[in-house]
Amino acid sequence: MKRPPAVTDLIEELKRMPGIGQKTAERLSFFVMRGSNERANKLADAVRNIKEKIILCSQCHGITEINPCEICRDPKRDPSIVCVVEEPHDVYAMENMGHFRGVYHVLMGVISPLDGIGPSELTIEALKERVMKDNIQEVVLATNPDMEGESTAVYIAKILKPANIKVTRIARGLPVGGDIEYADEVTLLKSLEGRTEMN
Amino acid sequence: MPLFNTEAIVLRSINLSETDKLVTFLSAHFGKVKCVAKAARKMKNRFGAALEPMSHIRLIYFGKENQTLYRLNHSDIIHSFQPIRDDLLKVYTGIYFNELIDTLIPEAHPDPKAYQLLLESLLVLESRDSLETLSRLFEMRLMVLTGYTPQLSHCSICKGLPGTERIGFSFERRGIVCEPCSFKAQPEMRFQAGTLNYLKKLKTMDIKHASRLKFPKSAELEIEQLTHRLILSYTGRELKSYPFIKNMAKIMDTKL
Ligand SMILES: [Zn+2]
Ligand SMILES: [Zn+2]
Repeated sequence: MKRPPAVTDLIEELKRMPGIGQKTAERLSFFVMRGSNERANKLADAVRNIKEKIILCSQCHGITEINPCEICRDPKRDPSIVCVVEEPHDVYAMENMGHFRGVYHVLMGVISPLDGIGPSELTIEALKERVMKDNIQEVVLATNPDMEGESTAVYIAKILKPANIKVTRIARGLPVGGDIEYADEVTLLKSLEGRTEMN
Repeated sequence: MPLFNTEAIVLRSINLSETDKLVTFLSAHFGKVKCVAKAARKMKNRFGAALEPMSHIRLIYFGKENQTLYRLNHSDIIHSFQPIRDDLLKVYTGIYFNELIDTLIPEAHPDPKAYQLLLESLLVLESRDSLETLSRLFEMRLMVLTGYTPQLSHCSICKGLPGTERIGFSFERRGIVCEPCSFKAQPEMRFQAGTLNYLKKLKTMDIKHASRLKFPKSAELEIEQLTHRLILSYTGRELKSYPFIKNMAKIMDTKL
C-alpha cells in the first residue's frame, strides 16, 4: 500500500537536508505525525520564520533579524577593527570566545577552484569598499586554516594592500585542516592574540 | 584487515560529515585511493597539514582489498610544498595538476609513472616561476603516460610528412593532417610549422628539465590551444580549475 501523499511530501523534503537519508526522514515524519498539533505548528512556524525573518546584514553580511545587525549597531564595539570569516556561523564561534571587540565581515564562502567559486562570488569587493570608506585600521583574516582558507587570505591581503592598513592572519598557529567552527575558545583566543601581520 | 603503507600525494580533501573528511590520494604503489579520515575536521585532529592538497606524505590506510573506500590510519608529512601555498598562481596551478590526475587516472590501478610525474611537477612548481611552460609540459606528459598520445610525426591519414607552413590538426584522428589530406579530414585547428617542434619536445621532455623549455610568444597560444583541446576531447568536459586559473590570472593582472 502506498503512503498518503502528505507523508511522502514531508519525507521527500526532509531527505533534501544534509545528512538525512530515507530511514531518518521516515522516522522524523512519523514523529511529527504522532505528535500534537501544537508541536507540528511550532515546527512549521520556525521553518517559515527562518526564511521570512532572517536577512543578511547590509554591513557585515552576517545573519540577523534587524538591519544593521546587533553587532554592527553596538556602540561599544570597535568599528575600526574588522574580523573576516568564511560563513555566518563562524561569527558565533568568535563571539562565544567573548574577547573580540571589533566587528565582522562574512565572505559567504571561500575561494575554491574545484567548486568554481572565484573572488567575485564572495563579498570581497564589499569588504574593500568598507575598508576604503569606513575608518578601518585593521583587518583580521579568520578564514579556516586549510588550503582554500589560506589562499583566500593571501588574496584578500593582496587586494587590500593599496589601502595601507594593518592586515593580520588569525589562523596561523591553529592546527592545519581544522575548522574554526569547531575550535575551542582557548585555541581561538590564543590564535587571535597571536595573530601575525601579512606582508 | 590488510594495512597498506605507501608514499602518496594528496589530490583532494572534502568534508564528508561534521567531523570526517574524504581524502583522495595518488599513492606510489597502489594508484589512486580514497580514504575516510575520521575526526579530521576537529581542531585537535591528528592529521594536520598531512591531508591538505599537494602534501607529499607517508600514508598508512586499511580496509578490505578491492573495496572503494578505505580508512585512513596514519599520515606523516614528507614535504608540504609551502612555497606553492604562499603563491596564489602556484597553488591554483597545483590544484589544476591534481584535478587532471584525478580525472585521468582511474582508481586502484598502480601507476608509479603518473605518481613520479606529479611529484616531480610539484617540485618544479615549487622552485620555478615559469608556470605556463610547466603546465603545458605536464598536460602533454600526462596524456602520453595515459595512452592519449597525439600523432605529430606524420600525417594521420596518408602517413606523409607535414608541410612547412601551416599544419592542420584533427582531434577526431588525434593527429596532424597534411595539406592535401586537409580537404578530406577538415582539421579543427591549424598552427605554424614551428609550433610542431615544440609540441614534439613536450611529448618526450623530462619534467625535471622543464626550466630549459622556453616557447616564443608566437607559439605559446597555439601550444596551449592544442593541449587544452586535446584534453577536452580526452575527458569530454572542461575541468573546473582550468577556466578558474585563466580568470584568476586576469584578475591579478588588472587588479593587483
Ligand atoms: Zn552586521
Ligand atoms: Zn596526408
